Parts: sequence; C-alpha cells; structure tokens
Amino acid sequence: MSVMIEATTSPGVETRRGAWRAFLRHRMGLIGAGMLIIAVLLALAAPLVATYDPYANVRVNILDIYQAPSGEHLLGTDDGGKDVLSSLIYGARVSLVVGFAAAVIALLIGGLVGIVAGYRGGWIGSLLMRITDFFLVIPDLALQIVLVAVIGPSLGTIILVIGVLGWTTTARLVRSQTLTVRERKYVMRARAIGAGDAHILRRHIMPAVLPLMLANMVLVISLAILSESTLAFLGLGDPTVISWGQMLNFAFSRGAVSAGAWWALIPPGLAIVWVVLGTTLLGTALEEALNPRLKRHHLEAHGTDVAADREFAPTPLPSPGDPILQVRNLSIEFTSPTGPLRAVDNVSFDLRSGETLGLVGESGSGKTTTVLGILRLLPPGGRVVGGSVTFDGEDLLGLNGHELRAFRWTRLSLVFQGAMNAMNPVRTIGDQIIEAIRLHAPGTTKDEAVARAGELLERVGIGRRRASEYPHTYSGGMRQRAMIALALACDPDVIVADEPTTALDVMIQAQILDLLGGIARDYGMGIILVTHDLGVVAQVCDRVVVMYGGGVAEENDAATLFRDPQHPYTQQLLQSFPDLAHPDRALRGIPGSPPRLDAMPAGCRFAPRCPHAFDRCALERPPGYAAAGGIAACFLLDPDEDRP
Amino acid sequence: MSGRGGYFLRKVGWALVTILVVVSFNFLLFRVLPGDPAKSGLRDPRLNPAAVEALRERFGLDKPVIFDIESGNLFDSQFTAYLGALSRGDLGTSYAFRDQPVSDLIGRALVNTLWLVVPSQALAILLGAALGLVAAWRRGRPLDAVALTFSLFMWSLPTFFLGIILLVAGAKWFGLPTAGRITIGAEFATFWDVAWDVGRHLLLPTLTLTLVLIGEYMLIMRSSVLDIFGEDYILTARATGLSTYRIIRHHALRNAMLPMVTLIALNLGFTVSGAIQVEAVYSWPGLGALTVDAVGDRDYPVLQGAFLMIAVSVVVANLIAELIYGWLDPRVSED
Repeated sequence: MSVMIEATTSPGVETRRGAWRAFLRHRMGLIGAGMLIIAVLLALAAPLVATYDPYANVRVNILDIYQAPSGEHLLGTDDGGKDVLSSLIYGARVSLVVGFAAAVIALLIGGLVGIVAGYRGGWIGSLLMRITDFFLVIPDLALQIVLVAVIGPSLGTIILVIGVLGWTTTARLVRSQTLTVRERKYVMRARAIGAGDAHILRRHIMPAVLPLMLANMVLVISLAILSESTLAFLGLGDPTVISWGQMLNFAFSRGAVSAGAWWALIPPGLAIVWVVLGTTLLGTALEEALNPRLKRHHLEAHGTDVAADREFAPTPLPSPGDPILQVRNLSIEFTSPTGPLRAVDNVSFDLRSGETLGLVGESGSGKTTTVLGILRLLPPGGRVVGGSVTFDGEDLLGLNGHELRAFRWTRLSLVFQGAMNAMNPVRTIGDQIIEAIRLHAPGTTKDEAVARAGELLERVGIGRRRASEYPHTYSGGMRQRAMIALALACDPDVIVADEPTTALDVMIQAQILDLLGGIARDYGMGIILVTHDLGVVAQVCDRVVVMYGGGVAEENDAATLFRDPQHPYTQQLLQSFPDLAHPDRALRGIPGSPPRLDAMPAGCRFAPRCPHAFDRCALERPPGYAAAGGIAACFLLDPDEDRP
Repeated sequence: MSGRGGYFLRKVGWALVTILVVVSFNFLLFRVLPGDPAKSGLRDPRLNPAAVEALRERFGLDKPVIFDIESGNLFDSQFTAYLGALSRGDLGTSYAFRDQPVSDLIGRALVNTLWLVVPSQALAILLGAALGLVAAWRRGRPLDAVALTFSLFMWSLPTFFLGIILLVAGAKWFGLPTAGRITIGAEFATFWDVAWDVGRHLLLPTLTLTLVLIGEYMLIMRSSVLDIFGEDYILTARATGLSTYRIIRHHALRNAMLPMVTLIALNLGFTVSGAIQVEAVYSWPGLGALTVDAVGDRDYPVLQGAFLMIAVSVVVANLIAELIYGWLDPRVSED
C-alpha cells in the first residue's frame, strides 16, 4: 500500500523546488529578507552595538533632554535624556519578539481551525467558519485596546491579545488549501486504498498546507509588529520595556513636536517601516513563489500582434471566384523565457462562402491559436511572424485598431468555447445582443435593436421573452444558443465556432450542430468549426483541415478524408474514434503524446509516434503533397520517394 | 429559503446574531476579567460601607451575573439589567466626566468620527479604485509598478507615524491647526466661519486617513479588475469590436464593483483602526480618541460603550455592504 502512496506524493516535492527557484528570482523577496536579517542581528547584538544601556537607571538631567544629534549621541536624546540610537537598537528586540511570538500563536490557532474546518467539513466546519467570520467583522484594534486595557499592559498580554485576534486570515487560507488538497486525485486514491485520516493529514494535507502557512506567517508577523507599535503609541505598551511605538508615544506626547526634536520622532517611525516593509516584501515574495497568480488578461495592451517584418507574399488582386477567407503560410510565435516558441507553423487553408470547414486537432495542435491569430485576438506575447490572411480581398493582418473594430462582428464573428463565461453574468442576454447591434449600426433605434435581438433569439430557438434574463438562468445548451444569436447580431459573412459543443451532452450537441448547419444554409455563411471531436466534423463539415503540432497534417473534403485518409496521423485518429458503420472495428488510441512546443521534432512532427516513419522523417519536415484530391504532409506520399 | 428576499433575511439575521454576541461579550468582558471596572470603582477607601451598598445596588452589582438560580426569578440578573438598560439607550454614566451619560458622549463622538471617516473613505475608494483600474489595465508597466510600490510603502507606514509627519509638515508649512475640532476661545460671526474653522481642523486628519486607505483600495481594485480581465466575456467583448474604453466602462467596471463591495466591507476593521490612530494623533474628538482617553482615565463605562458602538457600527456597515451586493448581483436570487 505504502508504495503507491509514496509514488503519488511526489508532485509536492517537485513544486516546492520550483517555488524555491521562483523565490530566488524575486529580487523583492531577497531585499526583504536582507532588511529583516539586519534587524534581527542588531536586536541580538544590542548590548554590543548600543553605546548606552537604555534600561540603566540614570538621574535625568534637564540639560540632557532633546539634545540634537552629536558625536556623543548620534541620533540625539529623547524626552528622558536617553540616547535615541541605543533605545532604537534595543527596541528591535521588543518588536521582533512580539511579532514572532504573536504570529506563532495566530498560526497555531488559524492552522488548527483551518485544517479542521477544511478536512472535517460538516457542521463543525461551518461553525468554525462562522466563528472566523465573526472575528473578521469585529475591528481588531478596538478589541485589542479594550482587552489590553482590561487585562493590563504586559508584554505577555500584548503578545497573547495580538496572537489570539490575528488568526482569521490564516484560518481562511488554510481551510481553502485543505479543501483543494482533499479533493485531489492522489488523496482520493490514498483514501480509497484505506489510508487513515492521520496518514492523509500527515502525508498529504500538511506538506501542501505548511509552505503556504509559512509564507502567511511572515505576513502575520508584519501585522503583529504594526499592532504592537500602534498599541504602544496609544499608551497601551508594556511600561517596563522600550519599544518603538512607545518611544514615539513619549516623544509625541512630551513636546518633541514643539521642541522641533525630529530625531526623537523620525528614527523610531522609520525603524517600524523598515521591519514591516522587510517582512511584507519577504512574505509577498514567498506567497507569489508558492502560488503564482499570473492570470490571463484579455485587455493587456501589447506592442503589436503582427510582426512588422513578417514574410508574406503580396495579396493577389481579388477575383470573383475567390474564397472569402484565404490563409497563407500563417506562422505564430509566443515569447518565452527560453526564446520564441512556434505555436503555429506555415498553416494555409481557404474557406468559401457557405462552406463549413472543420479545423481538427488534439489540444495543443495550434488550432485555437490559428483562429485567434486570424481574428487578431492573440494573447500578449503571441505574434504573427509570417504569412497572410486575406478576407474578401482585404489584408486582415494589415488593419489598424479602428479598421479592425469595424471589421469585427460585421464580417466575421465568433462563438466561443464553453459558453459558461462567454457572456457577461451581470448583464441580460438581450442587452448584450443589443449592444453589438447598435455598436455596428449606430443609426438603429433602441426599439429596432430590441426587435432584432428578439428575432435572433427566436431563430436560435430560445424565444424573445427570455431576452431580459441573465446568463445564469440559462442552461448550458441555451447559453450556447444565445452565444450563436450574439454571433449573428451583425449578419457576418463568416462565423468561427471554437469547440461550440464541448461540455454539452450528446443530445444538446446534436441540436447545436443542427442549428449551426441550418444557419450556414439559410444565411449562406461560411463557418469554421474548431474541434477535437471527429464525430462533430463528420456531422456538419464540408472540408476538413487536420492539424498536428502547429502545422497542417492533411486537408481534404470531408467525405474523402473519412473514406480515404492519407496522412498516418489522420488514419490513426480515425481509428481512435468509434464508427457507427463498423461497430465491430476495434478502437485504437495513438501511442505516445503530442509534441511540446519547446521540444518540437526537427523533421516531421508526427515521426516519433508514426508506425511508418523512416530515416528521412527525422531529418526533414515534409511539405504538402497532393493526394486523393487533397493535400497531406507526409513523405510516404512523395512521388520521388522510392520507398514502398 | 431561496430567492433574493431569503438572501436579505439571512444576512439581517446573521447581523443580529453577531450584534447579540458582541453585546454579550462586551458585558462579560467587563464583569469577569480581573480588572472588573465596577468593583474597582468601589474600592475607593473614602467610601463608607453604606455608600458602597448604595452604589452596588445602583449598578446592579448585588445581582447574579447571568442567571438568578437562587431566587427563582431566573432572569433577574446583571445581564438582563444590562440588556434592559441597553434597549433604553442607557449605557451608564462616565467616571471621568461626572454625571455625563455615556450615550451622550458616544453620540457626539460618533458624529465627529463620521465627519472624518465618511469623506476619507469616499475619497480613498474613488481614488484607489481609479488607480487600481489603471494599474490592472497596464499590468507590468511602469505605472503599475509605481502604484504597487506606493501601496506597499503605505501599508508598511504606521498610520500614527504618517499622522505625526503630516501634522508637523502641515503646521510648519501651511499653518494648519493640529489638534481638536474647532479653535478654542475663538468668536465666530456666522455659521460659515464655524464651518471654515472646522474644515481647517479636519483637513490634516482627512488627508492622513485617505492616504492610508488609498493603497489598500488600490490593491483590492487591481486584483478584482485583473480577475475580470481574464474572463471569457471580456474576450467576447473585444471580438465584438468594442473599444477598450467601452469594455472597461460597460463590462469590467460593473463586475468589479461586486468584489469591491465585499472587500471594502471586510476591510472596515482596517478603516476603524486607521480612524482611531488618526483621532489620537490629531485629538479629533471622535470615538477613537474617546476610547483612547477612556483607557487613560480608566473610564470603563465609556470604554465599554465606545467599543460596543464601534463594533455595532462595523457590523451594520457590513450588513449594508452585503445588501448592496445582493442588489447588484443578479445571481444572488438563485442561491
């Protein structure tokens, strides 16, 4: 039993090593750690470094009070005639001890509450979260003041109060992390083979939660240090110890401002900033390293999505019989720390009006990137580096921002994958369709737009009455229909549908495909259907482009492609799908996995998985050869190749 | 319960429970903990035993704390007496200000605190949100870096220290008043003169509190907006041909409001903490200064009342935020 569990715990170690490397890359975290180390060393060496002992009982001489900085007192003296610099150095001890001790208490409570609430769940879990919510609402500082005032201000009390009130964020963090880990496959598996709670907590939950807790602890320390100095400034510090907040309290309330004694005010304040900034920098860097949160950003302004020096053949003069969309030698690269990665390489295809073209491939084959490149919607870092896209005689890659906005949706529109979030959840469906209509036809009155939106919704089988509803009231299939209605809003020439049936059940899939097919017929629109599902392609497509590893493997009309596939990849792909005409045929998956962008084979991209590969395949990249009325990129089809 | 009405009811119910817990906690804290305030008031050696008895009766200290088991009258206890007094708005009498009802002191202080907190909060939310929006839109650009550094620095700067710095600077270079609400002993001809004087007193505290809060709201807005910029519907909006301005205005802002409302509510403790410190530095006679002064004077009835007021205000403000959320988000009625 244990062997299997050992094998499944390894991902944690891997990510931790990666996190450590990510942390070292963070200059900010290293600076914070450095600032903190200086403070800790000074605190430890205080008796050696400080020239005066601030705890010594010396009779106050009125002449010593608020002396300006001098050789004798580098930072002057305070309201009691004591050396500010020495007090400052000793003050680091209090701040750091309180910060650390309070953070340990907060972490113990928060960690326990979080793990129990996350792991146990049930009524105990919800009760614990209710309690956490309660403490989250009660203003910390006010409660700290009341507690310290009533119990009496000693260092121990202050530590306890700050710690006992500071655990809520830790509890929430630990709970959500525990919940996530608990649902992971390897934990489920461990449970299924009979591992006990103690084992799962020790081997799975703790390793995942502890690093996060440690990062969180650093931030809790910074909060605790701030709280301690605030309490001390408000007169609730331990009167027997010297702390920065208390130094500020004494100086501020005992005439440092009117005496102009900035040296008694500024240094202790900056000391607090130093330590809190150090811990915050360190904590933030640790958190980011453990939990990188670089998200997609659809509005990020990128320099350009089309390389100025892209190589392409000049667009030929349009002639009447031309396809509406011509893609020629399109290549797209993404920037990466190790250099540019080519996600789409030399892709060419045509789409005629009224034709439905299937763009098929596994995930990572570059089909979605191809489409985003054509639509000029590449994410930041992605760039068209070669080729051309001609739409009805117009060079799409040459349009400027204004022309592009006018082009979008009026000539070419999109139906997105997973209609779940493709529409704005806080605006009604009708409102979003109307927005598109009126954007591109500014003369349309409100009533006309409403009527048109109603017609569109009716066309896709929703009914105009539901226009005033929000996306979350629609079912998955309905949302996909609504998205199609939105795509039809400005009567485009071409619709690109990116995985329009993924995540829908088979019945709904068939309805959506029927709808798309009907629309293509009725409106004479061209449709590009991007999908990984050959069944979908078989149902509606006239032509098919099969993509593999960023390039086109084969292109042909759908009937021929299914009957007589030329490329070994297409052949294997077809064998891995059930065929209703030959239900007795054995299904076979393709051994191996698709190539990664950073490890693309130099020759044919499919060669490593191809049963027919020979030496030439590893050396050269095959161009497209004419075969069976279509094109396939495989040396087996090279007429000059003298292999069988 | 379902639907929007159910959501509102649940939230109001939870707020009431929270307030009840706060009230009980507030009561027990001041009875049970070692520093028992009412008792310590009675330890004054100058009081004769009869006077002590009279005081004990007046404060209800002759009764049991929570439940009266002996007399059979179960609910005749200090706690029920406290609840009864509370329901009449009676928070006791201040020790430090003789014969001043605590409720009067707190009422005046609350008004002053609101004069400080409401404008600062509004200003900080507005500026912070604008800054956060631009920082998110220009993620990774110089402006984003500047905004992040600013908020990191403001976070590390103790509020009271910033207050002291601004106080010194404001007094020295702009001759602004640094303490209190109004110039003491000055004669004012018209209402506008009064307003002008109070406004001058309010300037530095408001500036301090606003600066402290901006960084926080900027961070909140930045991360909310970044979340939304990654959503599919933003890509849809772009593909539709909407300009960036329109996408932000009509699609991102409204959606970012939702997490903002929640997080502003969760952050109220931070605002209260800032207000207490600012009031202490500038002697602004609000709830915070009242609390701090009560600690110094060992004026426990005022401390107890002020804490109750602060906690209940935050709970109520939180409730308002949650109700606004329920009203803004159409999905609430589903849950």
